[in-house]
Amino acid sequence: MATPTPPEDPTLLIHAYVDGELDPANALDVERHLAADPALAAERDRVTALRAALSRHFPRESAPAGLRARVEAIARPRTVARPSWRALAASVALAALVGSSATYVALGPHEVAPTQSATASTQVGVLDAHIRAMMAPQAFDVASSDRHTVKPWFNGRLPEAPRVIDLANEDFPLAGGRVDVVDRAPAATLVYRHRKHLISLVQVPAHGQADAAPVRHMNDGYNIVRWTEGGVTYWAVSDIGAGDLESFVQKFRTAPADQ
Amino acid sequence: MTGQPGGDDRTRFAAVVQPNLDDAFALARWLTGNRTDAEDVVQEACLRAYRAIGTFAGGNARAWVLTIVRHTAYTWLRRNRSASLVMVDDLEAVERAHADPGDQEKATPETELIAKADAARLESAIADLPAPFKETLVLRDVQGLDYREIAQITEVPIGTVMSRLARARRRLVARLTKD
Repeated sequence: MATPTPPEDPTLLIHAYVDGELDPANALDVERHLAADPALAAERDRVTALRAALSRHFPRESAPAGLRARVEAIARPRTVARPSWRALAASVALAALVGSSATYVALGPHEVAPTQSATASTQVGVLDAHIRAMMAPQAFDVASSDRHTVKPWFNGRLPEAPRVIDLANEDFPLAGGRVDVVDRAPAATLVYRHRKHLISLVQVPAHGQADAAPVRHMNDGYNIVRWTEGGVTYWAVSDIGAGDLESFVQKFRTAPADQ
Repeated sequence: MTGQPGGDDRTRFAAVVQPNLDDAFALARWLTGNRTDAEDVVQEACLRAYRAIGTFAGGNARAWVLTIVRHTAYTWLRRNRSASLVMVDDLEAVERAHADPGDQEKATPETELIAKADAARLESAIADLPAPFKETLVLRDVQGLDYREIAQITEVPIGTVMSRLARARRRLVARLTKD
């Protein structure tokens, strides 16, 4: 490397010397100083001992095989092209459902009491997305029970990756993920399985909004639980019982983020 | 979707990114402190690298990949653990707080104490370093990169790499030689 301008601290050159980063002329110069100055020699000995300890305790690490496989899959050509008829069918279903669900919001049971119309329209959007997904050949665009597959899948599609929690041990295994359009903006949706039923968990960005505890709604026979946490509003939608859905929400919320 | 990588890009990705996966994982593990988060970070970094593979202008592939891993790791840390991330702005204050006692001349067999330190002790001492010191030390003393590569990856001049490395090592030595 190019020799740096003489540093104010001569011990810096000792480090560069130990690292083999000095050209021969400067290395000779440092060696002369080392012979003359015990403080510099002590610094050299400490650095040498530290480097030896580090290389003894931390040999080269290998990336886990699972990670390697997933990275190799990134560059594998995608063979499945999305059939356009499916998008068509979905938009037809959407048109049909927007009408019916809107009616339910207007006439719905007393559990449906969104205080703001914006929330009500979001709820309609979330429920529609869930119902539409149930009618599609499969309810998700990426099918995987591995959160390391599902989470990165969202990366190229959404500005913010969703929170993905594995609840397989809690009887709510992850089934996959999809992108829904809620209030005309894309939102990350995770799909969980509970026995034979599916749960859609839609994550809608809610920047600047205060956290809000879970509130349960019922709409068109579906249970819906909504809460806001960390600038994201979560909507859990399913046809499972209200108690099961609340149990799912509780497990999702209390799971450690780093698991 | 514009700018989707094509077949040539896949070949380049395989040639540029995949051979450096071990280094990518090691850096991410040191920066995040655990393997699970490191896997998330590396996978996200590889997706970024794949999308940006067209911008790789040749040269040092390892440094290019590690630059992306480093950025991804810090983005991840800011999002998930902003309290634990000490960035460059705070460094001078950190330095003052850890003012060197200056007793480097003492006759204790420091090198023996350093040599006897076990892996757990070393690991926790490294984990406690402020991020700029930690990344410089890990890239040099664990991953074996040279100063020029480290300067490229951490986006600072070589002189800064030298001084950060020296400070990082002195802090580790101070930790390991203090009872």
